[in-house]
Amino acid sequence: MERLVEVITSADPRVRNSPLDEYCRRASLRELLGQCAELESFRRASPNLLERVRACFFLYAIHRFHLPAKRGLPGGGRIPYEGYLHLLGRRFEEAVERFLTAQAEEGPSDALSSALAATYHKLAFQNLADQVRRSVRSARGNQWMFRVGHPLDQALRVREELLRRPSADSSFPVLREATPVRMDLTHSAWSDIFFLGMDYPEGARVLNVSIDLGVRGRDERPRPPVEAYLRVIDEPLLRLASVDLSATADIVELDEVFDFARDYLGLLKAALIASGVVPPGLEGSGQSLADLLARLVGPGRGIELVSNVNGIPKGSRLAVSTNLLASLIGVLMRATGQIRNLEGTLEEHDRRQVAARAILGEWLAGSGGGWQDSGGVWPGIKLIEGEEAREGDPEYGTTRGRLLPTHRVLGLEDVSLESRRRLQESLVLVHGGMAQNVGPILEMVTEKHLLRSKPEWEARLEAGKILDEILAHLGRGDVASVGAATTRNFFGPLQTIIPWVSNLYTETLIAQVREAFGEDFQGFWMLGGMSGGGMGFIFEPRRKAEAQERLLEMMSRTKRRLENALPFAMEPVVYDFRVNERGTVAELTASDSALLPAGYYLMMAPRLVRLRPQELTASRRADLDAFAAASRSRPELSSVVQALFDRLLPRTRREEGGGRVLPELLEEYGFDRVQHEQIRANLKAGRIGLSQNRLPVNTEISDVEPGDVHDAIDGLTPEMRRLGTDALAQGRVAVVSMAGGVGSRWTQGAGVVKALHPFAKLGGRHRTFVEVHLAKSRRTGRLCGRTPPHVFTTSYLTHKPVEDYLEAEGSYGYPGPLVLSPGRSIGLRMVPTVRDLRFSWEETAHQLLDERAQKMRESLQAALIDWARARGEASDYTDNVPSQCLHPVGHWYEIPNMLKNGTLARLLEAQPELEYLLVHNIDTVGADVDPALLGLHIGRGAAMTFEVIPRRVEDRGGGLARVDGRLRLVEGLAMPREEKEFELSYYSTLTIWVSIDPLLAAFGLTRDALGDEAAVAEGLRAVAARMPTYVTLKEVKKRWGYGQEDVLPVAQFEKLLGDMTALPDLSCEFVAVGRMRGQQLKEQSQLDGWLRDGSARYVESLCEWQ
Amino acid sequence: MKVRRAVITAAARNQRAIPLQMMVDRDGRQKPVLNIIVEETLSAGVEDIGVVVCPEDEGAYGEAAGEHAGRLSFFHQREPLGYGHAVYCAREFVGDEPFLHLISDHVYVSTGERGCARQLVEVAEARNCSVSGVQATRENLLPYFGAVGGRRVSGTKDLYQVEQVVEKPTPTEAEQTLAVPGLRAGHYLCFFGMHVLTPTVMELLGRHVAERAGDRAVLLSPVLDELARREQYLALEARGRRYPVDVRYGLLYAQLAMALSGRDREEVLAGLCELLAQRELTGAGEG
Repeated sequence: MERLVEVITSADPRVRNSPLDEYCRRASLRELLGQCAELESFRRASPNLLERVRACFFLYAIHRFHLPAKRGLPGGGRIPYEGYLHLLGRRFEEAVERFLTAQAEEGPSDALSSALAATYHKLAFQNLADQVRRSVRSARGNQWMFRVGHPLDQALRVREELLRRPSADSSFPVLREATPVRMDLTHSAWSDIFFLGMDYPEGARVLNVSIDLGVRGRDERPRPPVEAYLRVIDEPLLRLASVDLSATADIVELDEVFDFARDYLGLLKAALIASGVVPPGLEGSGQSLADLLARLVGPGRGIELVSNVNGIPKGSRLAVSTNLLASLIGVLMRATGQIRNLEGTLEEHDRRQVAARAILGEWLAGSGGGWQDSGGVWPGIKLIEGEEAREGDPEYGTTRGRLLPTHRVLGLEDVSLESRRRLQESLVLVHGGMAQNVGPILEMVTEKHLLRSKPEWEARLEAGKILDEILAHLGRGDVASVGAATTRNFFGPLQTIIPWVSNLYTETLIAQVREAFGEDFQGFWMLGGMSGGGMGFIFEPRRKAEAQERLLEMMSRTKRRLENALPFAMEPVVYDFRVNERGTVAELTASDSALLPAGYYLMMAPRLVRLRPQELTASRRADLDAFAAASRSRPELSSVVQALFDRLLPRTRREEGGGRVLPELLEEYGFDRVQHEQIRANLKAGRIGLSQNRLPVNTEISDVEPGDVHDAIDGLTPEMRRLGTDALAQGRVAVVSMAGGVGSRWTQGAGVVKALHPFAKLGGRHRTFVEVHLAKSRRTGRLCGRTPPHVFTTSYLTHKPVEDYLEAEGSYGYPGPLVLSPGRSIGLRMVPTVRDLRFSWEETAHQLLDERAQKMRESLQAALIDWARARGEASDYTDNVPSQCLHPVGHWYEIPNMLKNGTLARLLEAQPELEYLLVHNIDTVGADVDPALLGLHIGRGAAMTFEVIPRRVEDRGGGLARVDGRLRLVEGLAMPREEKEFELSYYSTLTIWVSIDPLLAAFGLTRDALGDEAAVAEGLRAVAARMPTYVTLKEVKKRWGYGQEDVLPVAQFEKLLGDMTALPDLSCEFVAVGRMRGQQLKEQSQLDGWLRDGSARYVESLCEWQ
Repeated sequence: MKVRRAVITAAARNQRAIPLQMMVDRDGRQKPVLNIIVEETLSAGVEDIGVVVCPEDEGAYGEAAGEHAGRLSFFHQREPLGYGHAVYCAREFVGDEPFLHLISDHVYVSTGERGCARQLVEVAEARNCSVSGVQATRENLLPYFGAVGGRRVSGTKDLYQVEQVVEKPTPTEAEQTLAVPGLRAGHYLCFFGMHVLTPTVMELLGRHVAERAGDRAVLLSPVLDELARREQYLALEARGRRYPVDVRYGLLYAQLAMALSGRDREEVLAGLCELLAQRELTGAGEG
């Protein structure tokens, strides 16, 4: 293979499927750059979408992984800010252009490659999303909805049957759609991702089962878990109600239908639009909703749409939300005659139409899974396969495959009744309690598929074979072998393609089950995109009941042990299930006995009670009457009255969080009320805030000058190494890992202890951050003959969990002193000010999202502003579990804490020869006590030496600069103008070498004074006063209902370590280190790149496991 | 094939007054709608006309037919069993011959020299098959009409081979099954209310009537859909327009269309202008 373009264009599958990596490894820097230029011009000229997309992915991979690995690519380099702004503004072509111009003018560099990689990656996904959108819009049967721009254009009418009622005082009949959810027996390595099926239809295959569900111990028997109800009402509005989310709204304006993030009714709104009832073409038309409804149901009338999910939690991996959307669309399409059968099951043609509309709805609402997700609409077990695009398809000539696959429902001759029964008797379905976003995984799969990396490609082929195997086993009724195959799939192909589908929780469970059940445990199977939530365990049928019992126990126990380390959203549950052989089914109930689900009345009644009788319409009164009568006569509604009473008079709820209430915690962790009120007053008055974080505009900020930074990438000498090794051997060094954080970016505010997150498999096992750091210190100790003391600084959020975890793990057998330094400072979060919210959204550059997602974001922002106003700006944020209301006050406090809590004094007492500390963040996994760097620090004699790395595009948040002539670190928050940051060559790693005595001196202290509490407090206060206080906005999750989560921005304040470099009386040095050493793992989406670019291997090489 | 008979259906229970509404025809003469429709039918060369009515309407309709009353035979639809059933009520009248069929709630204004019915009969006789009049109709009007799907007969501008017929389709179904190449986006061939039908239609209707379940109405469209699969069946985009008089303002538009294409065109135009001007002036005065 000489040209990469040929790999893309070749008709020969062997060439087309050949891996990029191998070629790139062999090629020289110059050759690679040549290929990039060729790919770029090919990309611009090619009329074929998938060729363009694949070229983008090739370019991304070369710039992200291969060029930086080549010798000769300069490490530094500047990223033009203008290009970066284009990138944020989703003007990707212009961004590429600008970065390539810079590359032509200044030569290639690591920084520019990082910017180009990010741009090509986004461009590729943008192109793919555009194609899905085009396909959905141009599908026959969907186009007309985009042409409707006026109520008079609406050609749908609600069917006669729904308008018949005995008298004008009665309510209208109710149409109810009950839909199963889908379980996938094998998704053949996520082959149901739209992009994948469109590129590789022959490999896109899924075995998908429709099931009814019940929660074991709660529900009497399994039933279709998803329901949609529709009826006509005699008010000219849309009444939407989600019983499961306890949300309802009366919509009177057309624009509200298109405002998805305003409330929890986005799915219902998407269904109204995708079903054509409120056609998408009406968005922004300024027309009247009442006029539209008059066309549909007659003047003065409206439609009520209700969704109900029978207590199936989020993250079940059973595609609950897609099937709910499909159910809603189904009921709406039946009601408007777009589906011929008003009642009963659907015909194949209608099922396909509903599935296509569900895709449209997901696109509108900015979400989206794979094409198998609406499988619940179909009955029983089906094989769903991608299909080549043919003439007449909107995809023809653009992509190889169609957007929508073909469903083949397997008959009894394929899977006999006996097999189906055995499957039901063998399989234990559970929800493990973790709810994670699979979005990043789906992106990774797409990317790897289009790159055809060798191991991943082979894994994909293998997964395809496993599907055939499973089909054959099912045909024979051999469920044990199905289990063996799904297990092999999980540990083989799936983890080869995406290592992140597994986690410590899942693997611990599998090991426990295997131990408890031995041969009778026949297999594990991952449901959906990743494990930890919905999962299946296959057992010898006679032990199923016992397994259900014990699995629940095991899950609860394991969850309790890991709940601080992994993001759990709820208590684990075990399901009862049954294969649903009918698919989605509708039923019309005549008006006199027509009822909505009981939960609907529980939700509505308290609101209705507040209305005066004359404000209730006749049909609403009739509806309530019917419900009251039913609750007296129907046994299943007997408990409703009590529940209703509880709703009307809600009982006061004891705070969660181990039963501890907020005031107790504040007291315990040393909350400073006076300082808090001061901050609130300043915040309210606008003296502090996001905009006040910034240095004055007239501050002169420039990049480093030659000689400012020592180059440790090439410039460390044997002399330095000797100096450092000696110091280590003499016990003059300790390591401090800062572990006070709860990884708000790492788990999007789920509040887990990041230090304890078993984030990756290293040395064959999942390792926590804590374990990785100890493994590095263990190795250093062995090499130098003395193990350094290792300190983990903790906070109120992390102390107890870290302490317990270390105890449970036997401190990972760490041979040296291991100390925890508990935090002694705490803040209470506040509701942000509208000013700061606006500043954060409007004044700082943000990644513009895809058109739909951006709309969602804007609508959400409006809702958040209302929330802040309603709650009271700068008021205490207390409406959450206590741990989410408190906040750590920034890493500057970590060292003062060690002074305050006596940790440093005790260390010095035990090891008086101690002189230096290596302080680093918990997520800087590449940082170790490198003797040569230590030698450099000792040799230069500075109080603190800060490690920095050459900047890449993703390194946002300040950097090393000359500020009014003085060399120091500047926080991103403090940059007066964002673009200045792009002129700074180096980015801070927050890894710091500290000389203890000079640091103490800066606090006005000596070793001897450490015992004097008053002197320590005095010294710390004096320095604290010279440190700036930053106001920041953080996202916290508020969990509610059944696995539901809200993400809210809250205000908190911080002081940061980098600002120590601004103290004139403290001597600081700066040293540039390699990226593998210096990079911090801030988001889980970084992990895949971190693994692929060799960083993980580098970290493994520094570790010595227990 | 020679078309000698015509069937007009006027038995819809909720529209019994419509054929009796008075209008002014293109020649400026005032007459009931029924009369106008009968004249349209006769202009096509038809000799005898059967009118299907509610039993109690025969007298009034006979009167409304005026000078043409002698050429009319009345047939009773005793129960409201649907449009298809109404046509079927004239089966004995039609016998074994092809027939022209019109509904009584549309009036037609031809834009050519020959009337719409005439155009239709000529094509049917020349092609020796059933022909339905159709008009390209915007999709928002689909709830009011039957619609056909098919393709243009090569070498013609206005003739289509009918492949499918759907009664009041949703736009979703229309887009999937009734799109006809050559029409504007969002437009479909909807019935014109005028057909020339072969005796097969009566045979099919007979089966539908016999198999009718419960209180379900017998419709014409499903029968025509079957017809398309049984024998050659064409649709003609006639030169002219149909005006349904049974919808809101339908009679008004029909009257205007007829007046503006007839003898009194200038008089009516002047009247309209005066009406508009007065309204504008009054509006301006008030403003």
